[in-house]
Amino acid sequence: MTETVLQTQALTKYYGSTLAVDHLNLKIPQGCICGFVGRNGAGKTTAIKLMLGLLKPTAGSSRLLGCDSQQLLPAIRQRIGYVTEGHRLFRWMSINELQKFQRAFFPKQWDDKFFADMIEYFNLPKKRKIKHLSNGERAQVSLALALAPNPELLIMDDPTLGLDAAIRRQFLEGMIELIMRQGRTVLFSSHILGDVERVSDRIVVIDKGVLRANCSLEEFRAAVKKVILSFTDSPPADVDIEGLLHCRRSEKELELILVGPADEQITQWAKKSGAQNHQIVKMNLEDQFIEFTAPPNHRRLFQWEEK
Amino acid sequence: MALWIQISSGSGEPIYVQVAQQISEAIAKSELASGDKLPAVRKLASELVINPNTVARAYTRLEQAGLVTTKTGSGTYVSDPKLRKSDAADINILTERMDTLITRGLNLGLREQDLITMFKDRLAKFVNRQTERKND
Repeated sequence: MTETVLQTQALTKYYGSTLAVDHLNLKIPQGCICGFVGRNGAGKTTAIKLMLGLLKPTAGSSRLLGCDSQQLLPAIRQRIGYVTEGHRLFRWMSINELQKFQRAFFPKQWDDKFFADMIEYFNLPKKRKIKHLSNGERAQVSLALALAPNPELLIMDDPTLGLDAAIRRQFLEGMIELIMRQGRTVLFSSHILGDVERVSDRIVVIDKGVLRANCSLEEFRAAVKKVILSFTDSPPADVDIEGLLHCRRSEKELELILVGPADEQITQWAKKSGAQNHQIVKMNLEDQFIEFTAPPNHRRLFQWEEK
Repeated sequence: MALWIQISSGSGEPIYVQVAQQISEAIAKSELASGDKLPAVRKLASELVINPNTVARAYTRLEQAGLVTTKTGSGTYVSDPKLRKSDAADINILTERMDTLITRGLNLGLREQDLITMFKDRLAKFVNRQTERKND
């Protein structure tokens, strides 16, 4: 049986009167790479901080590796890695000093050689102070610090924000390398859906603090579909198909965004509705995400109109 | 072998389908012959920087298509073409795909004979490789 490494129960957080995380019920099984996605301000960072016990929830609870997030014992903390948004590291320390400092938190499993090899691979001088590193170099140090203790659970808050393609790829490689080891789990938030698609086998989508999806990446990819139906006359007024998320009309066409129904079901409905023909469009993950999190009656920012 | 597999994230096609398609193309071109061993799941995942489950899923898909067989504890191998079964559904899908190409060709103003010549030329590229491989 697969163990649950991260679990939240009705986890809720208000900032004043603003609801940031709304009754989040999340379960992440051991051994996956989970892409944590949501639009800006959806509550990802708040949720991560709640999970790590860095913020107090207004209501609800969460557990990491079986231990309540608000009372994480040092023995549990040692098994968890956390990469902050923006890779905030002590600026006055050198890479060497930072390593010693960080190693003290993970006395049992810190891998000196692994850390040294990564720093060498990145071609970073160990005596250089963090404040003299570029953003990309700081991110590389942060990645080495995150992987050196061989964490059972690695949580990264938008680790590739603002990084170039090569350094972003190094982060993806790091995640794959970690997950190959027995029983490791990664949760990372990102806005780069291409990265999420590449390395994740699980996806969690939150929108306005609410959990919208928590499933395997393949399920999500297969579930969200766009269908274009054309009619000889005006399309039917009632669109009573299962899983309808958005419906956009034009004079003789319907564009539907559906979550869940199989292609055969769609074909049947298309026949029943009197469509002249229909096309099920294969969407990429980014388009799926945009549609999935779009508000109802969502229109494009700029809509082409025939003059 | 991993190097020629190109992953394009952001495509409408899931990554496991991309991997499976490129390997099945290599088998069709005899770049991978019967009995050749596919890289271990974790090795390929590491080289392509994709999730190991995605690679495993691609291999399962190839196995379902009868193109490879997995020997427990040993690895995944390209299967013997004589033992592959092509079922009617697969052939149907193939026929439909050909329709798409024919439509495009005709819309480009190509004549029947042009299409046949093009088809033969392309086919030759695959078959020639197969013979070269056998003579190696």
